[in-house]
Amino acid sequence: MPSRIDLRRLYDTGAQLAPAVHQPQNWPYEVPHDRFEAYMWPPHDVAGQADIPVRYEEKEEEEWELKTYVTCEVLGWKGIWNAEERRRRGNNDLGLSLYYGFPYYGRWIWAAARMLVDKNHVSLTELLEKIAEVRARYGKS
Amino acid sequence: MQSQHDHDHAHDANAAHRAAPMVDEISDFEVLEIAVRELAIEKGLFTADEHRRFTEWAESIGPAAGSRLVAKAWTDPAFKARLLADAVAACREIGLDWAEPTGTGTPSDYMEFRVLEDTPNLHHVIVCTLCSCYPRPVLGHSPYWYRSPNYRRRLVRWPRQVLAEFGLQLPPEVEIRVEDSNQKHRFMVLPMRPPGTEGWTEEQLAEIVTRDCMIGVALPRPDRKADDPRPVQPARRPVESTSANRAAG
Repeated sequence: MPSRIDLRRLYDTGAQLAPAVHQPQNWPYEVPHDRFEAYMWPPHDVAGQADIPVRYEEKEEEEWELKTYVTCEVLGWKGIWNAEERRRRGNNDLGLSLYYGFPYYGRWIWAAARMLVDKNHVSLTELLEKIAEVRARYGKS
Repeated sequence: MQSQHDHDHAHDANAAHRAAPMVDEISDFEVLEIAVRELAIEKGLFTADEHRRFTEWAESIGPAAGSRLVAKAWTDPAFKARLLADAVAACREIGLDWAEPTGTGTPSDYMEFRVLEDTPNLHHVIVCTLCSCYPRPVLGHSPYWYRSPNYRRRLVRWPRQVLAEFGLQLPPEVEIRVEDSNQKHRFMVLPMRPPGTEGWTEEQLAEIVTRDCMIGVALPRPDRKADDPRPVQPARRPVESTSANRAAG
């Protein structure tokens, strides 16, 4: 039986493990010992995702995050989109890669941009040109 | 367990999220936010003034309003009854109008709010398993951990364990009720008034009702005016104004 500290380390390792279905070769020839151990002491999981304690921490809100919240809300206030489009489709139904790959409000602003294009309020070209213009304005190549 | 987790460790699951770019450089999300907002204004979808009005409101909200509701309920049984019966109406008694800032509330908070009363045998804690629904008008913006899939999925499966990880160990005879917030219903916990606060004024009482107490991951204590310290990830470019997004204190 591993010690508490060892178990914590194994859980951390185990939480990183996922079926390597994206690898063209299905099975590895060897498994490193620490990974083998992690497989032996699997953490709880929810549909294959780790279900283990994390350190709950505070994150200071970014300026762009507050502005994103406001922009999404004002778009709702003015009837440009509704809550169903925003929450279920736009913010959440993105696929796992984007859902876990973006910060919380990153999904919101991404959804807002997509919605503006999807509903023909702006064209994709206009959006891309605007993004390029803003980048240039702030000296970003 | 606020874990012995070493966050500089190579196995840090969040290492990629923390790779902070140079502070001076504008981030991709900042660019996208500016682009979307400016396009929306240029296309007449909303005006800069409407955006500013909403921003002023968004910067003004915080857990102080919730603390006042709790303190008033502790000292005024008739108010408590009104708060439990119709929380939106009771909020107006402390000058908080859920119809702000648009006249019909915010598009995502609506105007449906219920207060959950703790008893010696019943403890409430709130979560939004779907996304991050939170009673913004009374508690301000939700803490980042409240929005995390970890908190959302684990609180409903292991409520007692998760509360213990927050430092709140409840005896087995206390039932824990997890209230799942959603788009149409927002909730807040009314904790029990702790012993040692006899004769306190409403203002004194409000000081010990921290944000975490109203989420339900902590209990008010006479000797504590701020949530227990927790690691804080600083913002690259924080919200500049007021106290809006600070943790309750």
